[in-house]
Amino acid sequence: MESKKTSSKIGVYICECGPNIADNIDIDTIIARLPSLEEYQNKELVVKRYKLLCSNEGKEFLENEIRENEFTHLVVAACSPRDHDTTFINVCKKTQLNPYLYKMVNIREQCAWIIPDKEKATEKAIRYIRAATSRVLKQSELIEKQLDIDPGVLVIGGGISGIETALSLAGKERKVYLVEKSSELGGKMNMFKELLPRQNGNRDIIEKKIEEVKKNESITIFLETELESAVGFLGNFEISLKNIKNNQPGAEFTVGAIVAATGFRLTDTGKLAQYKYSKESEVYTSLEIENMIKRDGKIVLKSGKEPESVGLIHCVGREEKGYCSQICCNYMLKFISFLQQQSDSIKIKDFYRDMCLPHKEDQGFFEEVKNKGADFIRISDVKIKGTHVEYTPIGKDKKEVDVDMVILAPAMEPEKGTEELAELFNVPLSETNFFQEEHQQLNPVETSIEGIFIVGACHGPAGISESMLQAQAASGKISTRLIPGKKIVPEVKVSEIMEDFCMGCRTCMDICSYGAITFDGELSVCVVNEAICRGCGNCAGSCPSGAIRAKHFTSAQIYQEIIEAIR
Amino acid sequence: MNSKDKILVIGAGIAGMEASLLLANAGRSVLLVEKLSLTGGNTIKNEDSFPNLECSTCMIAPIQQDILQNPNIEVMTLSTVKKVEGEAGNFNVTIDKKARYVSLVDCIGCGMCYEPCPVTLKNEWEENLSEKKAIYVPCEGSLPNVPAIDPEHCLQLNGKKSCNACVEACMFGAIDLSEKDEEVQVDVGAVIVATGFDMFDAGKISNLGYGKFPGVYTSMEFERLFASNGPTSGELVLRGGGESPRSIAIIHCVGRKELGYCSGVCCMDSFKYSHFLKNKLPDAKVYNIYSDICLPNKTYQIFYNKIKGEGGGFIFQSSPEDIEIKESSGKLGVNLTDRNGAAESLDVDMVILACAIVPGKESENLAESLGIELDGKGFFLTRKEDVGTVETSKAGIFVVGCAEGPKDIQNSVIQAEAAVGKAILIGEINGK
Repeated sequence: MESKKTSSKIGVYICECGPNIADNIDIDTIIARLPSLEEYQNKELVVKRYKLLCSNEGKEFLENEIRENEFTHLVVAACSPRDHDTTFINVCKKTQLNPYLYKMVNIREQCAWIIPDKEKATEKAIRYIRAATSRVLKQSELIEKQLDIDPGVLVIGGGISGIETALSLAGKERKVYLVEKSSELGGKMNMFKELLPRQNGNRDIIEKKIEEVKKNESITIFLETELESAVGFLGNFEISLKNIKNNQPGAEFTVGAIVAATGFRLTDTGKLAQYKYSKESEVYTSLEIENMIKRDGKIVLKSGKEPESVGLIHCVGREEKGYCSQICCNYMLKFISFLQQQSDSIKIKDFYRDMCLPHKEDQGFFEEVKNKGADFIRISDVKIKGTHVEYTPIGKDKKEVDVDMVILAPAMEPEKGTEELAELFNVPLSETNFFQEEHQQLNPVETSIEGIFIVGACHGPAGISESMLQAQAASGKISTRLIPGKKIVPEVKVSEIMEDFCMGCRTCMDICSYGAITFDGELSVCVVNEAICRGCGNCAGSCPSGAIRAKHFTSAQIYQEIIEAIR
Repeated sequence: MNSKDKILVIGAGIAGMEASLLLANAGRSVLLVEKLSLTGGNTIKNEDSFPNLECSTCMIAPIQQDILQNPNIEVMTLSTVKKVEGEAGNFNVTIDKKARYVSLVDCIGCGMCYEPCPVTLKNEWEENLSEKKAIYVPCEGSLPNVPAIDPEHCLQLNGKKSCNACVEACMFGAIDLSEKDEEVQVDVGAVIVATGFDMFDAGKISNLGYGKFPGVYTSMEFERLFASNGPTSGELVLRGGGESPRSIAIIHCVGRKELGYCSGVCCMDSFKYSHFLKNKLPDAKVYNIYSDICLPNKTYQIFYNKIKGEGGGFIFQSSPEDIEIKESSGKLGVNLTDRNGAAESLDVDMVILACAIVPGKESENLAESLGIELDGKGFFLTRKEDVGTVETSKAGIFVVGCAEGPKDIQNSVIQAEAAVGKAILIGEINGK
């Protein structure tokens, strides 16, 4: 939609930037030549210079000029928009000139500072200003919308990450819905008794948190329930649940954000030939040992006798999975420490490849355990036949040993159903099948869909502390974004699809990373949900029939800009 | 807004900036205090950051810009927190604000003042690999793009000589040599400590030859040497000689044994250097000398496998601190013990020491001012009774990023976001 005003009046303001622009560009030449250029013959053009537009006096001057001249469009030729685009946008906002009818041109870094020849620099500046002036005439007003939000949050998964998220967010004005597929809260934590020394050793804190969740009136708990559908966008997701037991539809409600905290499972060691074992043998996975400690208070053989020698094998399935699970070294040390306390004469053989001890307290724990007499053997290869271990120490020949018990540290992988959930949300999984962050470093607990978050072991292998911090991080983001009673302003530079031109090929739907495009089966056209679209423009570029327009970056605008710059 | 609703963030690195922006965008007023003249912390010293090798400046500059332009954030550079009194929701903070001598409002960053300045100094920010004037920005692209004056070395300010060169060169009247250091008092409701880290002093392990042999570099020196806005504009040339290295040894875990912890990020940094070297100097031989490979993220092993695929040697050493580096006829000899315990020597032109992350120098003083504890290693301690928290022993004071312990960018940002969730509950009702 081009500007509807029939008579345009454009203000072009050139900043001298002290001597920075004025000395290297002949501003008077620009002022003299610009209005006489052919393309502006029928336009009302005001071209003026000013010593420093970004100064307070400069901003005031510009503000008065816009008001007095009743400009319909504004061009500011000055420094890099990275320095002062926001400055002049704010000037526009003060004067009621829609900021999308303004354009900034960089004649300092891109002309004055890099072209030694003044005449050439001036020539380039004219072309740039001409390009911007022609473009701005093709720009349209865009109006920011304010949307009501629901501050409520849906948390999927009743493990420690989900519990921490719920507790961090629930309050008088923010309801939390906690959905758990099993019949009790706690997740994998229910199998644990002992935590790491740096986590204070016992599970009291966790126990307390589970009790708090149950007591909190702002938290609604749904057990044996799963998510049936979630449709919407940040601030407004329509949720339907499903009762797993009777396969009946469950509750329906609206929330502003969703947090997936669906956790992990251990990789199936049965699928790895070198670690095959039968249930009758004395070979256990780490979770079986955790459970044993919780149930029996000690680590024992099937006979009930305490083992005299234990072999621990790290990195089970790591190569196959393609990542390090980062917590296994630590919990193996925890088991060794437990065994050492259980029996003074315990013989430990720990078969590892690399010790992964990324927390500041970990190495101290490792040394403590090692000094008590555990034998740590760095290996290049290991295989078991029951409790008979064949291993190759690094740089040495193959050896073998018989132990009473073998403990395996299988790789963590995303819990069953993660893939289906990702599909339901329309968010991508990473190469390693865990959920993928919107940006690995800068937005690590949110997905590509704004308002859908990922915390705990579904985000990647994580221990209790890391999971809880992630839960708090998601809560932090949600509580700054969804403030009860406040509205949100979605992006206005979004894409729009012109129905008449859309062939319904759905290429754009594959391209869109944000799930902002849906297909209207009745009209057989694609439709953009403006509340979800973030204006990246990828769909506009991909549309084979040119039916998609990225607002503020339309083909007409860009074409006009290029043509004026090069002709 | 009540002054108690204001939140103090100490440190404008990635963690401090993330916390400030989130709070400001939620309408909270933020005071961001930074001891240096620029924002960005250590992240902006990297050309690219692992594992995606995304250009750090491109990643961080928009955030720095947002910080400077956000009306809810006041950035106080060249400032340190001296005293904090009171309790959660009601802290009174005393800030030592050093004079910049250049106005953040009037200066446009044209840089005309550098050349006339008669004083040349080592540029510490560039690991002393380049020089700066007494009026300086630490590197190209510094934000705010406004210089500061080093009062110890400026002739006019240290009283050695009357000099007005920069003032005369400035066409905007932005330089004021009469500006004084100030003590600023502010009331805030909560404090987020994001003071980052320093690097282990490689000179402490004398057998590694750092400071003795010019071909031995610390990891941070290499980061700057590789950076396109660094001392050599990214050209990989050796100190002094001006030639590119043909063989390079990267030694992991420098300082780990002494300090008693693994920093968790150096393996990935070392592999990144490997990749940089292979990319810029395809014929160079690169050796990674490691003891444990630590890859604590779902994507890090993928990166490691990629680097292994690019070639180069991976040599296991049980204790890198036992490595002996010697120089003979311009070559560095790296003497190590191979897997079978036999002595081995590598001849290289360059050695990069992947140094451990250590607590920031001012941590001890700051901990005292804040009334919170440090752990045995000198990092800030979080609440002992908790598992996975950013809360400290004092309510209303939070610690995030490497100030709490060594970590990567992802985990620093996660902690920053976690602290925001807690801090926002103080002073203002937010749905609770």
